[in-house]
Amino acid sequence: MFHNSSHRKFWVFKSEDEVELLRYEANQKFCKKILESGKSGLSESMFLSRHEEDTLFRHYEKRLVDFCNAFKPAMPRSVVGTATMYFRRFYLNNSLMEYHPRIIMLTCAYLSCKVDEFNVSSSQFVGNLVQESPAGQERVLEQILEYELLLIQQLNFHLVVHNPYRPMEGLLIDLKTRLPTLENPEILRKSADDFLTQAAMTDVGLLFSPSQIALTAIMNSASRAGLNMESYLTECLGMKEDKETLSKMFDSMRRMKTLLKKYELPKSEEVNIYKQKLERIHAEFATSSSNKRKRGYEEDGHVAKEPRLVEEEWTDEDLI
Amino acid sequence: MDDQGCPRCKTTKYRNPSLKLMVNVCGHTLCENCVEMLFVRGSGNCVQCDTPLRKSNFRVQLFEDPTVDKEVEIRKKVLKIYNKRDFDFASLREYNDYLEQVEDIVYNLTNNTDVENTKQRMEQYQRENRDVIQRNKAKLTREQEELEELLLLEQQGNEQRRLEVLQEEQRQLQAKRKNKQALLDELEQSHVPAAILLAKHKVRAAQLETQIEQQKQTVKPASLFSTGIHMNQTVSLQPLPRIEEVLYQYKPLQVETYGPPVPELEQLSRLGYLNHVRAAMPQDTAGGYTSALACHRAIQDAFSGLFPQRG
Repeated sequence: MFHNSSHRKFWVFKSEDEVELLRYEANQKFCKKILESGKSGLSESMFLSRHEEDTLFRHYEKRLVDFCNAFKPAMPRSVVGTATMYFRRFYLNNSLMEYHPRIIMLTCAYLSCKVDEFNVSSSQFVGNLVQESPAGQERVLEQILEYELLLIQQLNFHLVVHNPYRPMEGLLIDLKTRLPTLENPEILRKSADDFLTQAAMTDVGLLFSPSQIALTAIMNSASRAGLNMESYLTECLGMKEDKETLSKMFDSMRRMKTLLKKYELPKSEEVNIYKQKLERIHAEFATSSSNKRKRGYEEDGHVAKEPRLVEEEWTDEDLI
Repeated sequence: MDDQGCPRCKTTKYRNPSLKLMVNVCGHTLCENCVEMLFVRGSGNCVQCDTPLRKSNFRVQLFEDPTVDKEVEIRKKVLKIYNKRDFDFASLREYNDYLEQVEDIVYNLTNNTDVENTKQRMEQYQRENRDVIQRNKAKLTREQEELEELLLLEQQGNEQRRLEVLQEEQRQLQAKRKNKQALLDELEQSHVPAAILLAKHKVRAAQLETQIEQQKQTVKPASLFSTGIHMNQTVSLQPLPRIEEVLYQYKPLQVETYGPPVPELEQLSRLGYLNHVRAAMPQDTAGGYTSALACHRAIQDAFSGLFPQRG
């Protein structure tokens, strides 16, 4: 249950600024680390700025969602929701420049399949990379498995994500039961679903509880259909006496809506430019660190596979 | 009463007290020496009735009348086949009839009357009752084994006790011998007059004797009742000391859900919630699933953390 989960305790933040600050710090940390390593010919302009990083993040997140939606066998929504949430949480404390989002997003999807009990074998999973040759799929799988533990660690082992989909079902049931004046609550479902799908692509999941998101989705859908559901909040959910809670509730609903409105798909030309930059950074710095990590593994006797010479051979262009 | 003797070499018990008479299946006697001589090759014919016999079938004659031995042998064989027991029969009458039949067979075989027919009867019976015979045989062997185990245990116990007694005696003997040796040593070496030493020795011997007597008396008092409880254990009649502790107080679990109250699982159907969820299919309910469970979970999820955080 959500109310005593790690989700509520550690992964619901107070404000958008707090989230942004975390990301900024992650970005700065990486830049500082590279600059301090004392390589020659470094300049600030080489790194991605926060804005650039954010654009790329949204791009890869979209790719993740598309990958999940095209997944065969069809992935349940909660698995997709969990995967995007992992992706979001991971890049809250890490920079895109340090870990390439291309592999992290697949790892997120892979892990969420496991956690949400959506049973696919690993070979079946990489089999969804239809553009890849079998050998390429094998390589990707190897990488996924390598990053899986890192991902789990970066998620602080808080693997259960509470998605807003079930709360929405619950609210609909409650509406049908306690608000008989509402004639056909099922008409609310379509647009509420859309709301949740959009919300998954924003920071809403990091700022509000899943039940609040679900309630906002339904209220939003109702107001679009021209229904006034304020009485549901006051009468059924017991916010009548508590004016403060009610106003806060409306406030957070408004915040969610603006967050959703603010969302826009990244422009492809921007993405292309930033992507080149990202690849360059990874070619120069990140691979060295990943090599170091790999060597560390080998020293520990964990991984004794032959070095991957062709790590950068597959590109995310052929993912979908 | 005429003396028992071997019909072949005419030796009698009187003349040779260590005479060992043997009997074979036909019920005729031979002495051990004659058996050894006549059956060197392992088999041969009876001197009196010409029945082919085997050496390995000779038994020491236990009864004065060799026909008794023969009967015992036959009975053993017959009972191997006729091994039904009283609870294999519906009534006592049937069981008695059966026993009668067995006796008839044994009698016939022992006295050589109607042997062929009797044997045929036995074979027929054996064919018809093969299952029962096998079963009873297995049962009997099991009982036999248990009995043997018991006997073995008893034997071991006896052996143990005998050894203990033996050891005790050995110890006492040694003590006495040591005492004597000590006296001789003293007589040889010390300068005290012999009379005094002898007197001393007498006292010591007496002491030793009484000691042994005492030991003998104290050796055996059993320290255990047959239940395994020690005999000298004093049973304290005082009540056990009471341990005063603060009793556990149950406090109902309070869970803060940060949302509106959720109706109880049992009340969902009364409040009409279940009209709006998919009814559970019969095959779902086999595992204990009810639609109320899913409904309750959805509503719990819907209300949990619904209110904005304060502060």
